[in-house]
Amino acid sequence: MVAAAVRYFFWFAIASALVLGGLGSSGCVVVRAHEREHLAKRAMTDDRSPGEARFFGHERGSREGAEGGNGQPGGGCGCN
Amino acid sequence: MRLQLAPSTVFVLGVLGVLGVLGVFGPVPPARGDGTLAVRGVYYKERATRVMQPMLDAMFDAGTHGVATGHFLVDAITSASASSGAADAKPFTEKRYEAGLGYAHELGVFTLAGDAKYSTESDYVSRYLGARAQAELGQKNTVLGLGGGISLDTVSAAAAQGPSMPTLRCDAAHPVATSCPLDVYSLFASASQIVSRNAVLGVSVDVSTLRGLQSNPYRQAIVGESLVPERHPTERTREAFAASARYYIAPTGTTLIGAYRYYRDSWQVHAHTPEIRIVQEAGYDVDASVRYRYYTQDGAYFYHARYPPDDPAMTQYVSDDVKLSDFTGHTFEAKLGVLGEAFDLGGRWAGARFEGILEYVIQHNRFGNAVIAHVALTLPFDY
Repeated sequence: MVAAAVRYFFWFAIASALVLGGLGSSGCVVVRAHEREHLAKRAMTDDRSPGEARFFGHERGSREGAEGGNGQPGGGCGCN
Repeated sequence: MRLQLAPSTVFVLGVLGVLGVLGVFGPVPPARGDGTLAVRGVYYKERATRVMQPMLDAMFDAGTHGVATGHFLVDAITSASASSGAADAKPFTEKRYEAGLGYAHELGVFTLAGDAKYSTESDYVSRYLGARAQAELGQKNTVLGLGGGISLDTVSAAAAQGPSMPTLRCDAAHPVATSCPLDVYSLFASASQIVSRNAVLGVSVDVSTLRGLQSNPYRQAIVGESLVPERHPTERTREAFAASARYYIAPTGTTLIGAYRYYRDSWQVHAHTPEIRIVQEAGYDVDASVRYRYYTQDGAYFYHARYPPDDPAMTQYVSDDVKLSDFTGHTFEAKLGVLGEAFDLGGRWAGARFEGILEYVIQHNRFGNAVIAHVALTLPFDY
């Protein structure tokens, strides 16, 4: 588990650095706080409320084999 | 004479009590901090299962750099089966209770957070503890996150239908037990980047390992002409990689959201999940959205509809779990959000948000299609 996690997070860090570094060096401007009117819109943020996201995660976990991917394992439903 | 109240009545009275304590019904006092209280009710119906889930979520400032969160919910499952959709299902009723607390603290560009969650029902107890860190870099144009969690669960067959409780085979070393552990260790990382005044990109990766009983205590697989209790491997490593993009079209007030998720695990389940969402503003206080999600997965390497009786290699693990079969699904969702201002409400209620969600899931397996409906009210408060 530890070896797998280290391996994946190493590659994630490399990929993130390449993608974000590429974006930063390819002319993507730094958007300053006063320029974020559109980015501050509810739909442009993580706009699902905690209860909504939690229910959908639980529901998918009870219907689909690909549970996880949201950093919140467990929760229990007796429906392994 | 004893006063007996239904759980839903207790929940509603609890919500009204919390609202009263927060002074929602009274005059606005001098503020020391802000917060929100959300009440949500969910109705879920599929062929063999109906779920009613009332829940309460609270979030409030804790000091100048802290935010505390908490939630409580009840899962009321009726007309379902303990064996989760098995062909021999019998009517079944159960309630699950879950409570969670969290705290996040800002330290300059960093945010450190922790959360805990406890869930209990007759045959499953889960205890979760997690921590995460977040860094906002480049004038908050780049956000990096890293976190992990441990879930220590206990599985039993206490909801068995019959005169005696079946014993569980936790693993080869513990072939007869009344309860078994299931431990989940997870790590996750995320990154998001503002790429223009109208666009944001995000990526994430999650890895988790499960160790312990992962078969349903009640479900039985068909081996030859017999029914045999499910036997799943006791170890599973899951990996999920996701990417998303959000783009705002200013002239029309429309937001386009695209996401894709790839999943794989050591049971050889692979899944692809693309989805698209369109959110349309209608003035300042109303927004509506539609969403389509496609889901497809391979079956686990040991899953078969029927197992031959005389093949030890094929019957080392046997499963009747439809979630481990090969199938596809489609989800359609419509959502409406309205602020209290739209109804000319004043004071605190002007900032209240009413939300309704209707979702229809088409799934090509034994579970069948499902309908899900949410209604929610989020109320801001200060104290």
